[in-house]
Amino acid sequence: MTVVAVATERRLRPPVADSLTGLGPMLRLVLRRNRVRLVVWWVVLAGLFAYVGTYYTSLFTTQAALNDFAALSNTPSIKALTGLAATPNTLGGAVWTKIWMTCALSLAFGVVFLVTRSGRADEEVGRTELLRSRMLGRHAYSVASWLVDAGLCVAVGAGIALASAAVGLDPAGAGVAGSLVVGASVTGVGLMALGVGAVANQVAGTSRGANALGSAVIGAFYVLRMVGDLGDGRLTWVSPIGWAQEMQPWGANRWWPLVLLVVLAAVLLAAAARLEARRDLGAGLLPERPGPAGAPVRYTSPLGLALRLQRGPVIGWSATIVLTALLFGSVVQSMTTLLSDAGSTATAIIGGSSVNALLAMLGMIIAMVTTVFALQSAASLRGDEASGILEPQLAGAVSRTSWAVQRLLIPAVGAAVLLLVGGAGMGASYGAAVHDAGQTGRLALAALAYWPAVMVLVGVAVALFGWVPRLAVPLTWGVLSAMWFVVLIGDALHLPAWLLDVLPFSATPHLPLVPLTWTPLVVLTLVAAGLVWTGLDRFGRRDVQTG
Amino acid sequence: MPAHEMAVEIEGLTKSFGSVQALRGLDLTVPTGQVTGFLGPNGSGKSTTIRILLGLLRADGGRATVLGGDPWADAVRLHRSIAYVPGDVSLWPNLTGGEAIDILARLSGPLDPARRALMLERFELDPTKKARTYSKGNRQKVALVAALASQAELLLLDEPTSGLDPLMEAAFTESILEVKAAGRSVLLSSHIFAEVERLADRVTIIRDGATVEAGTIAELRHLTRSQVTVGLDGGADGLSGLPGVHDLQVLDGHVTFAVDEAELPAVLAAVARLQPRSIVANPPSLEELFLRHYGDELATLSKGDR
Repeated sequence: MTVVAVATERRLRPPVADSLTGLGPMLRLVLRRNRVRLVVWWVVLAGLFAYVGTYYTSLFTTQAALNDFAALSNTPSIKALTGLAATPNTLGGAVWTKIWMTCALSLAFGVVFLVTRSGRADEEVGRTELLRSRMLGRHAYSVASWLVDAGLCVAVGAGIALASAAVGLDPAGAGVAGSLVVGASVTGVGLMALGVGAVANQVAGTSRGANALGSAVIGAFYVLRMVGDLGDGRLTWVSPIGWAQEMQPWGANRWWPLVLLVVLAAVLLAAAARLEARRDLGAGLLPERPGPAGAPVRYTSPLGLALRLQRGPVIGWSATIVLTALLFGSVVQSMTTLLSDAGSTATAIIGGSSVNALLAMLGMIIAMVTTVFALQSAASLRGDEASGILEPQLAGAVSRTSWAVQRLLIPAVGAAVLLLVGGAGMGASYGAAVHDAGQTGRLALAALAYWPAVMVLVGVAVALFGWVPRLAVPLTWGVLSAMWFVVLIGDALHLPAWLLDVLPFSATPHLPLVPLTWTPLVVLTLVAAGLVWTGLDRFGRRDVQTG
Repeated sequence: MPAHEMAVEIEGLTKSFGSVQALRGLDLTVPTGQVTGFLGPNGSGKSTTIRILLGLLRADGGRATVLGGDPWADAVRLHRSIAYVPGDVSLWPNLTGGEAIDILARLSGPLDPARRALMLERFELDPTKKARTYSKGNRQKVALVAALASQAELLLLDEPTSGLDPLMEAAFTESILEVKAAGRSVLLSSHIFAEVERLADRVTIIRDGATVEAGTIAELRHLTRSQVTVGLDGGADGLSGLPGVHDLQVLDGHVTFAVDEAELPAVLAAVARLQPRSIVANPPSLEELFLRHYGDELATLSKGDR
């Protein structure tokens, strides 16, 4: 017994030098697999910043215009959504307020997904096993992927810094310090997300779990800084995204928060490597436990089975929505306190509309989070088809339409429930602060008004599933991202006003800021129904396509 | 002459996943230059064993040596000399089969281009197709070509022919015999008894994560019974009472029974006295040997004492 124990102990550690063997070929593999993705991410993020920079340079030609813009931006909604630049009345500050958070967050989520693509996703299906059966060090594949992703972060930061300097966002005679800091701050957020993604990939046992965990952490950092930005700013320092904000390009031009971000990234990557060195390939932190030996009858229907399979995501998203909503409610509460401190006149003049604007904006964020859930659930139709698991289901006595309709009940009903719960949670939390129990129902209904808009996007996903199955999943997420971009920065994109107005999230009346109008809701519902119908009709006629 | 007499030596290997015990003291040896068959039903621990030999999983206890090294600590050095083919091959969907072969090959010793071409031809694999368009059998061929075209000293094959058609199985047999002729070693986990009987010098049979039988095929055959069918015009009087005779059945003048190897001379003498018209004797097959072991398990299970 002792001999065995000693022997096991002795072989705990492979030589450190071995752990990176094969790094070169793995770097080539990661680059080969992701060459299109990496270029697209770089072009979109650096290009977005360059575009807004160019546009604002042509738009704000006088200091007076910048001052007006700074005054307009100084609202709770802007502070919550994107943060407000340290020097909002400079050209760089205006661009920062408009686009910095979008670039930084997009890079953060993109990096998490890229880490999973070469990490858990490959491990889950056995490709990593095939590689590791060769002369490949334990960390070589992970480190190769981390290096490539870190390279993307640096490249995006450099692209943004270059664009900023080229457009001339730096004040005359001040050099390019602000441009360098703004690029570095985006890189810092990306590197931090790289660390988060790396640890999530070690902890979670599935690629879906790794993406969910990584995204949830990034989302939590975003919400934390939102609370901080709306308050006195101290809580901003709790969030690593807040550290990057506090680099204050064109303001204090601080470099030292970047050190914090890099150190955090290094610590997280070291932790991920340590976990990777100790665990079995294919295993997460928790061992698989035995489950029930049989299935209840309700799993026989596509809906029953899908409810069981999506139980985890439904619970996870509900918890996310409830926590976020409660937090939002308390944020609004602290806002009202700040406003009443400013005096009753101020409250009377801007308070009412400002609070309602903030509530409407937070309601829209809840709707956006709900959309992600609904699209994830709708995209699982194509997921089941691609993996081949659809075929045995359709080989049973169930029609394609019946299968698809039952599966779509989950995003349809789930979205309504999440919106109601989210709105009610925010209303309850806010209502408790202002001693108005009526807020719960009022804000629940305000959030529910987004249901037709969410269903239009679900309809888009179903239509894509029917007509272009192979591209459906990436296009679905692409449409959602494009829509978010347009909602956030559409005015800067020179898009015609009518186009901005017909987008589902813009067309929905932003309750409680504006009164309820039924026409857009009815039209959106009809559009959603039409999209779902065409997708299902096409799915009923086309081949089932795996792979 | 290879440096190690045994390419693989395993003693008392144990491994648990949570509360599930996958290996309970497994023993296995793969002599250098030989093909060792590795038999066991689904879930008996074959793949877990192979993954431990590859350093992908870490054993909880026991000893495992691969090519004289420790599979966990020396994984990278050892893998220069090891080629692996999993039973279920997954490839990068947007890369071609040829790209996948080269990526895998570059991680090991040099790949002889002539041999790569020969294997692609032998397995009739088009290396220019994207992996997403491959069938299961074709994905498996990618891993087989990468392994067989290498100069690896030890091949770890985990049900390598599970997706192949009979023609390709013949190509596989030919390739393994070449590997053996070159003095390299093979651990072949398989469900196909005919394949193991044709290729293997030695066989290890496992059950529930522990070895139940190991030896050369000839040795194992001594453990079991030959199947004998004789044509008799008279009755089979007296045969069923002989020691070593089992499961005797009479049908249309043909008498079929199983006989223990040890009692064969006496039984054959008795058959000769009955003046048989014809006699067919089949040596015990691996399948029967296997079924006997698992037949015991079935019997035990049905008695309900597990």
